[in-house]
Amino acid sequence: MSDLKENLKAQIIEQLNLEDLTPADIQDDAPLFGDDGLGLDSIDALEFIVLLDSNYGIKIADPNEGKEIFQSVNTLAAYISKNQ
Amino acid sequence: MKILAHSYVCPKGTYLNGNRLFDTSEEENPLKSAYQQLGVEYPKFYKMDVLSKMAFIGTELLLPFFPKGADLENDLQLIFANSSASQNTDNLFVESYEQIKNPSPSLFVYTLPNIVTGELCIRHKWYGENCFFVEDAFNPAHFSDWAQMGLNKGNNSCLCAWVEAKTNGEQECFLFLLTNSERDEHSIELELSTLIKQYRNE
Amino acid sequence: MHKPVYISHLSLVTPLGNTVEQHFDGFKNGISGIKIIEKGGFQDTNIPLAKRTEITSNRYDTLLREALEKAQLKFTGLSGKTAVIVSSTKGNIDLLPGDTFAGTQPIIHEFFPKTDTFIISNACVSGVIAINTAADYLLAGKYDHVVVIGIDAVSEFVSYGFQSLFALSNETCKPFDKSRNGTVLGEGCGIVLVTIEKPSDFAVLYKGGSSSNDANHISGPSRTGEGLVRSIEKTFKRSGLTASKIDFVSAHGTATVFNDEMESIAFGRTNLDHVPLNSMKGYFGHTLGAAGVLETIMSIVSMEKNILFPNLGFKETGTSVPLNIIQRIESKELTTVLKTASGFGGGNASLILQKQS
Repeated sequence: MSDLKENLKAQIIEQLNLEDLTPADIQDDAPLFGDDGLGLDSIDALEFIVLLDSNYGIKIADPNEGKEIFQSVNTLAAYISKNQ
Repeated sequence: MKILAHSYVCPKGTYLNGNRLFDTSEEENPLKSAYQQLGVEYPKFYKMDVLSKMAFIGTELLLPFFPKGADLENDLQLIFANSSASQNTDNLFVESYEQIKNPSPSLFVYTLPNIVTGELCIRHKWYGENCFFVEDAFNPAHFSDWAQMGLNKGNNSCLCAWVEAKTNGEQECFLFLLTNSERDEHSIELELSTLIKQYRNE
Repeated sequence: MHKPVYISHLSLVTPLGNTVEQHFDGFKNGISGIKIIEKGGFQDTNIPLAKRTEITSNRYDTLLREALEKAQLKFTGLSGKTAVIVSSTKGNIDLLPGDTFAGTQPIIHEFFPKTDTFIISNACVSGVIAINTAADYLLAGKYDHVVVIGIDAVSEFVSYGFQSLFALSNETCKPFDKSRNGTVLGEGCGIVLVTIEKPSDFAVLYKGGSSSNDANHISGPSRTGEGLVRSIEKTFKRSGLTASKIDFVSAHGTATVFNDEMESIAFGRTNLDHVPLNSMKGYFGHTLGAAGVLETIMSIVSMEKNILFPNLGFKETGTSVPLNIIQRIESKELTTVLKTASGFGGGNASLILQKQS
C-alpha cells in the first residue's frame, strides 16, 4: 500500500505538471483539491481519470464519481486497491 | 501612440527594454529557469503551455511600466498574434489520443491560441478586451492599426504580443505596451520592426 | 455616435442547407442539423454531431469554398477598399503537424484576389469579435467593406477533446433546459458584409460591441457571469442603449450545465432576464468559430421577418435565474437585438444590431 501511495504521488506530480513539488510535499491524507490542499481544479480532476485509466486500467465513466475518490492520496490508493 | 515598455522572452534569454535580464542559453529548461530567476510565486506556471509561459514571464517584467491611475481592470486591451496558433500543443494533444490512446483534457484546453491571454487575465485580474490574430509573420503595421482601433474605442492602453511556439522548437514572445500620445503612428511601426530585429539578433 | 455601419449580404452553409431560405424554413419548422453519428467519437463511440453529410473529405476547405461560391455573386460590384476577416478556432486541422491556418488565405484569394485577409482565432467568441473588429476597421477609415467569414469543421481532434472534458451530450443539444447534459459539436460557414455603404438589400445597423475576459479560469465558465456582464455593459455604453431597448437576445447557450447557468446569472444581473431569448445551438450544434457569425446571420433574419425563433431543445427552466426562453415561433417587431458569446480562455463578447428607422 505504501509503495502504491509513493508511486501515486510521483504520477500525480508528473501527470499534473506540479514541478514545484516533490512526493514528500504531498501528505497521504491532505486534500488534493481546494485552496487548503494542492489547489487542484476541475481539469486536474479529469486528468486523474486519465491517470487511473492509463496507469491502472480503471475506467471512470462519470466525473462526479471522482469527487469521493480523488479527495486525497489515501482515498485514491484505497480505490485503486479495491478495483484493480 | 507610444511604446511604454517592451520585453522579449525566448530560449536563449529574457530581455526588458533592450537589456538582457536572464541568460538561459545554457539551460536545459530555459523557461523554467527564467521563471525561477524572476522570483515570482505562481505554481500554475508549471501547468501552462509554452505560449503562456513565455507571455507570463514577459508580462511580469512589464508591470512597473503600466500607466498609473488607469482603470487597467477594464480598459487594458490584449492584442496577441502568431503564425502557428496553438500548433505545439495541438501536436501533443494528437499524440495523447493516437499514441497514448487517452485524450488529455489538460492538453486539450491549451489547443487554442487565446488561452495565453486568458492566463494573463487570470493572473492580473484583467477583465478588458482580448483578441488573438493569426498572421504569416510579425507585422508592425497591423499591430499599430489594431492598437489604434482599441484606443479609439476608449481603451486606455494595449498590451500587444507576437508569441510563437512551433513544433520545430522556434519560440519567442515579443511583448510591447502601447498607449496614446501625440506621436505619429508610423514611427511606432518602424520602432517595432527595429526592436524585434534587435532582439532576434541578440 | 459614430457614422453608420451596416451588416448585410447574408450567406451560410450548415447541415440545414446552403441558402438563407433553407435556414429560414429549417428554423420555422424546428429542424435540427444534429444526428447521432455512428463511431463519430473516441474509440468508435456514437456521438451526436451537426455534420454536413454532403462533405466527405477535406471538410474545412470544402466548406469554405462552398460558402464563398454561394456568396460570391452578392459581392460583385463592391466599390472601395475591401478586407476579409476569417473567424475560426482550429482552421484546417488536417494540416497538422504544420500550421493549421496556412491554407486559409490562399482559398480566400481565389475569390477575393489580393485582398487584405485577417484571421481571428479567439475560441468560441471569435465570430462576434470578428464582426466587432470589422466595424472598428471601418470606423478607423481603413476599409469601406469588410467581409466576415466564420468557419469551423467537425474533426476527431475537437470531438475527442470535448469528450475528454466530459462536455458532450450523448443525445442532443438542449440549451438552458433542466435536463441539458452537454453540448453537441457542429460545423458551418457563415458570411456577412460589414460596410459603410448603405446596401440596397436588407441590412441592419451595427450599434456597438465589445469583448471581455472572466479573469477566472481557462476552461470553466465564471460562476458569477462577471466577464459576460462587463462585456454587455460596455456594449450598452458604446451603443448608447440600455437593457430596456433590447427586443431579443441571441445568447450563446452551449447546453453544458455550467455555461448556461453562468449566462442566466449574467442576463439577470444586466436586467435581460425578461427579454425574449434563444440559443441556436439546438439547430446548428456548437460551431465554435462559426457560431457568432451564423447566429448573427439568423438574428438578422429574425429582424427582417419580425419573427422570434424557438430555442430548440428547451422544455423546462433549468437555470437558477429563470430566463424568457422563446418556446414557440412568435411574431414580434424586432428593432434592437443583442448577440452574446462566451468561450474557452474566459472570453466573452457581445454586439448590438438595430433596424434602420
